[in-house]
Amino acid sequence: MTDVVVPAGLWSETDEAAISSWFYAEGDMVSAGAVIAEIMVEKTSFELLAPASGSLHIAVAAEVPIAAGDVVGRIA
Amino acid sequence: MSSPEPSTPPSPSRRLTIARAMAEAIGQEMDRDASVLVMGEDIAKLGGVFGTTTGLLDRFGSERVRDTPISETAFIGAAVGLAASGMRPVVELMFVDFFGVCMDAIYNLAAKQSYFSGGQVQCPMVLMTSVGGGYGDAGQHSQTLYATFGHLPGLKVVIPSNAHDAKGLMLAAIRDPNPVIFMYHKALQGMGWLGTVQRSITDVPECDYVVPLSKARTVREGRDITLVGLGLSLHHALDAAERLAREGISAEVIDLISIAPLDREAVRRSVGKTGRLLVVDDDYLSYGIGAEIIASVCEAGIPLRAAPVRIAHPDIPVPFTPVMEHFVLPDADKVTAAALTLMEKQTA
Repeated sequence: MTDVVVPAGLWSETDEAAISSWFYAEGDMVSAGAVIAEIMVEKTSFELLAPASGSLHIAVAAEVPIAAGDVVGRIA
Repeated sequence: MSSPEPSTPPSPSRRLTIARAMAEAIGQEMDRDASVLVMGEDIAKLGGVFGTTTGLLDRFGSERVRDTPISETAFIGAAVGLAASGMRPVVELMFVDFFGVCMDAIYNLAAKQSYFSGGQVQCPMVLMTSVGGGYGDAGQHSQTLYATFGHLPGLKVVIPSNAHDAKGLMLAAIRDPNPVIFMYHKALQGMGWLGTVQRSITDVPECDYVVPLSKARTVREGRDITLVGLGLSLHHALDAAERLAREGISAEVIDLISIAPLDREAVRRSVGKTGRLLVVDDDYLSYGIGAEIIASVCEAGIPLRAAPVRIAHPDIPVPFTPVMEHFVLPDADKVTAAALTLMEKQTA
């Protein structure tokens, strides 16, 4: 089980961030390094990469505010 | 951890949004063909407000990826000239609603270049433009205007419903010797603030491939009724088809993909089988895609088991307030209800 963590240091902490879309659905197989979601911050997008290969569990849905360090999913 | 074996990614291998698929296609073609360049408002540093050019400035530099002033008249006019001079410009009209100030370049210059020069001067340009509402952006940022562009000879007009088609259509559009209007629906771009239909995020091959600019596709087989959609409305039709299946109704769903030329044969074949037709369009109703498709079926003398039906936006500007906007925009509920009514009205 590997946590999917929002990367730190990419944008100012005062900016509002949210996942704009998950590219995979709950339970889908993903491979390590694949882009699994996009994070939107002030009209700029950042990639969220799979930290491991396996089955994706989504913990935080799209369009919910998130911050660096948040666990937004797990890969088992 | 390292392995000498190349890792085989589990299936599905790689997914993209329509926005990323468009950017990937443009980038691949810029790699392959030095005459391809991109211009538009906020397409360089920002990567396009709808994500269509993400990463291109870093890869290709500001000579080939140019932010322009807010003058569609100037940069879309310039694109027609570039295309006549051997370049292959991809230009972004940020919202299709802004076409008024650049329409002379589009329909009088670009669309007629090949005809007026006896084919001696072509116009290999792509005009990509966002369409559609549903997020409270009011009447000057929410239109689709499919029929406005589809009506004009000399323009090919396409709209993808998913990322796979977006990449293949973009590659085909850039390689086409004549102007292509590449529309993309804001609600399918994968931008959070606009919402995204999950079904539009698909596996996209990394390789080079084209999707034909002139072909519709049957995306769901059925026996009882044909639902025709495009872009976002294709997804309304697919959602409705799933609900209709639970009512025992087998709906065939056609993704139009191409507005011009219109693949009339694909629709006729399907309606020839089902005998019933419902067109789902989010453009204005009158003189629209629904009318054209229904006429195409009737002209061919296809026997119908019920009068054909079209769903579209009524002939008023797109309302601002969400309550009113969603009241008039098509959705899966409206498509399902219209299909059920159509099924009941069948002639004996």
